[in-house]
Amino acid sequence: MRRFFCNFIFLLLSASTQFAGAWSLEEAAKPYSGTEVSMIFLDRPGYNAIIKLLPDFEKRTGIKIKYQIVPYENTREKEELDFSSNGELTVALVDLVWIGEFAEAGWIVPFEEIKKKYPDIIDPNFDINDFIPLILNAFGTWQGKVYGPPFDNYSGLLYYNKDMLKEAGFDKPPETWDELINTYAPKLTKNSKYAFALQSRRGETQSCDSFMRFLWPWGGSLLDAKFHSNLGNPKSQEGLNFRQSLEKYMPPGIVDYDHSDAVNALAQGNVAMITEWSAFYSTLVDPKNSKIVDKLGVAPEPKGPDGRKPALGGFSLAVASQANDKQKAAAWLFIQWATGKEIGKQYVEAGGISGRQSTYKDPALLAKYPFIQPMLDSWQQGVPEYRPRFSEWSKLTDIIAEWGTKMMLNQVSVKQGSDEIGTRTEAVLKDAGYYDGKKPLAQ
Amino acid sequence: MIEQRPPANTSTDPVKPSRKGKLMPIRAVPRKTYSSGVIFFLAPAVIVLLAVGIFPLLFAVWNSMHEFILSRARIYAAHGQPFLWFQNYLGLVNDAGFRESLFRTFVFLLINLPIQLVLGLLIALLLHKVGHEWLKNICRVSLVIPLATTLAVVGLMGRLMFNSSFGVVNYAVATVISLFHSIGPLLQGHFQVLHGFWRHVVPSNMIDWLGNPNLAFATVSIMDCWQWTPFCALVLLSSLTLVPPEIEEAAKLETDRWWQVLWRVQLPFMLPGITAILILRTADILKMFDVVYTMTQGGPGNATDLISVYVQRVGFRQVDQGVASAQAIVLLIITIILSRIYIRYFYREI
Repeated sequence: MRRFFCNFIFLLLSASTQFAGAWSLEEAAKPYSGTEVSMIFLDRPGYNAIIKLLPDFEKRTGIKIKYQIVPYENTREKEELDFSSNGELTVALVDLVWIGEFAEAGWIVPFEEIKKKYPDIIDPNFDINDFIPLILNAFGTWQGKVYGPPFDNYSGLLYYNKDMLKEAGFDKPPETWDELINTYAPKLTKNSKYAFALQSRRGETQSCDSFMRFLWPWGGSLLDAKFHSNLGNPKSQEGLNFRQSLEKYMPPGIVDYDHSDAVNALAQGNVAMITEWSAFYSTLVDPKNSKIVDKLGVAPEPKGPDGRKPALGGFSLAVASQANDKQKAAAWLFIQWATGKEIGKQYVEAGGISGRQSTYKDPALLAKYPFIQPMLDSWQQGVPEYRPRFSEWSKLTDIIAEWGTKMMLNQVSVKQGSDEIGTRTEAVLKDAGYYDGKKPLAQ
Repeated sequence: MIEQRPPANTSTDPVKPSRKGKLMPIRAVPRKTYSSGVIFFLAPAVIVLLAVGIFPLLFAVWNSMHEFILSRARIYAAHGQPFLWFQNYLGLVNDAGFRESLFRTFVFLLINLPIQLVLGLLIALLLHKVGHEWLKNICRVSLVIPLATTLAVVGLMGRLMFNSSFGVVNYAVATVISLFHSIGPLLQGHFQVLHGFWRHVVPSNMIDWLGNPNLAFATVSIMDCWQWTPFCALVLLSSLTLVPPEIEEAAKLETDRWWQVLWRVQLPFMLPGITAILILRTADILKMFDVVYTMTQGGPGNATDLISVYVQRVGFRQVDQGVASAQAIVLLIITIILSRIYIRYFYREI
């Protein structure tokens, strides 16, 4: 009898080990073959990369991926309308600043729930800890719960024109903002050429790429620990005043520069340096768009008095709560595959940016794509709440966009603008219930 | 003299026996009846109107009196939407952003509508003149091109044309400047004045059209005038064709002053057309979104933040559908009031 039990347990263990070892996407997806997964993609390199790889996934799993390409500006409204009216989306594309809103509204399913409900579809090799901690925390996690893995990942980088810097007597890019404004900028601004372009157009470009970029590296921030405005803090003021001083080294009309304008100004050789998202590397090395393909240099963003705290942005993918059980499983299988170790390298080769540490252990990949190392360096030092990720950000971003551009136009002083933003921000947060304990102070 | 018709039910009416044998008066004018066929043909149009016009309007009114923030949809599903009476409307009074955007929109309206009307009138009068038929035909066709252009495309075109680094407008400006320089020595005195003026207006020879708040407002206005002046011209041209030729000829024999003919003969015939332009363009400017959004997104600062861009931001970026609906209803009321004013003061039938 004892021998029988021993044999039985041995068999059971070996079967389960065999089963675990034999996990395959094809087997796991069998019950969900024919299920349709629908989602929104953007017209950006990371999405075009996954679209190139999609046929392989569909062939292996039989799951149909239906996607529509939507401009970033309309994505949130489209997703919110869909989720609030039980629409057809089964995967949520979550920008870092939407995670609080989507999680609080109950539109996305936490990873733990998926794991509990569908243990068979979880790839034992998925390894959530392989994702770069900062971006997993910033893009896919809200109040300690992981909702989805990072998918389309960016960091702010300093792109520069090596030739222009060389002509001005510099053989390397500036290490600090102070160096940039005092040493580099005066020598690089001449003959209708400018040292720096900062995309500052009204909208998220102003609030995220322009305004917030000059708070964190100086030790400032938008909010203090109790969620009151921290813009009056001398460190925040120092950063914002620095932005004003830097303006004289930028092309006229900088308040109307969007991402494409700043990238184009560098690509055409009109400015020497820009701080832009890592995703624009492919545009800057494309000879169709750029005159500086072989002159392009990439470095991490310069350091401020408080260190290097570069712009942080990106999207995670999460399973939508409104999907039915089969769709949820199929959606997770897609998310797991799209952010998996298995296709990490292919994804980068196709133009995407993987969020996995293991992908970048390949020295050949780092050598082929010079922007990757500075990006990895940036991700070691960023702040997850670079922009607050609660649902009220959608109101705050408009306030900052309006008053931030007014500051740059000198329609108001930095102090007046900061006070206005502070007062209006606090009114929004008060209404939301952060000051009377109705909402936890999470950003 | 209008002949008085006797009342229908008098003793003079002929009578006929009813089915029950009771005598019933025969109607002098038979009541108009519609066959079910007519209802069948009308129904689709009425249903579509109800579905796309009336229902959304009523839904917007309902929304405007409730709290309706999209991200709270699940809470509403469980507990219902709080009914706020007119709180969303009262909130607009204290909303400085809404007031400023509305004021800016009226400034935009007051600047652009007269410009478009006057330019449209001039084009219409030129096209109404006798002669050069083939040239006028080409003009008429080309007037339709701006109207047929998608609004967002007009905005994108404007953004490219007025780009400070590579836009065609600054290229033209630079060409004019270099022309001034090349003919400068010939126009010594005038050139100095012109050049001085030019340097004052354009310090760096590169006009920052979209980065300067005032110029950005002007640029959006230019694109709006480019697109909608032809509409005014075509409406006024069609109104001019209503003027009986013999009256116009007689007037021209009476006076050789064209403005007298315009004021006393042509303008009265154009009043219905002008009223239509006023109503349509006012409504269009109040809901003008695409051009501004693609050109400036309401910036720089809030220089071009017209009311519809503001409402869109509240409704779809802050996802507060309740407040945005209240704002939209206020705009609707303003449009109706202005339309009534236009009809009352401008509309005359000849």
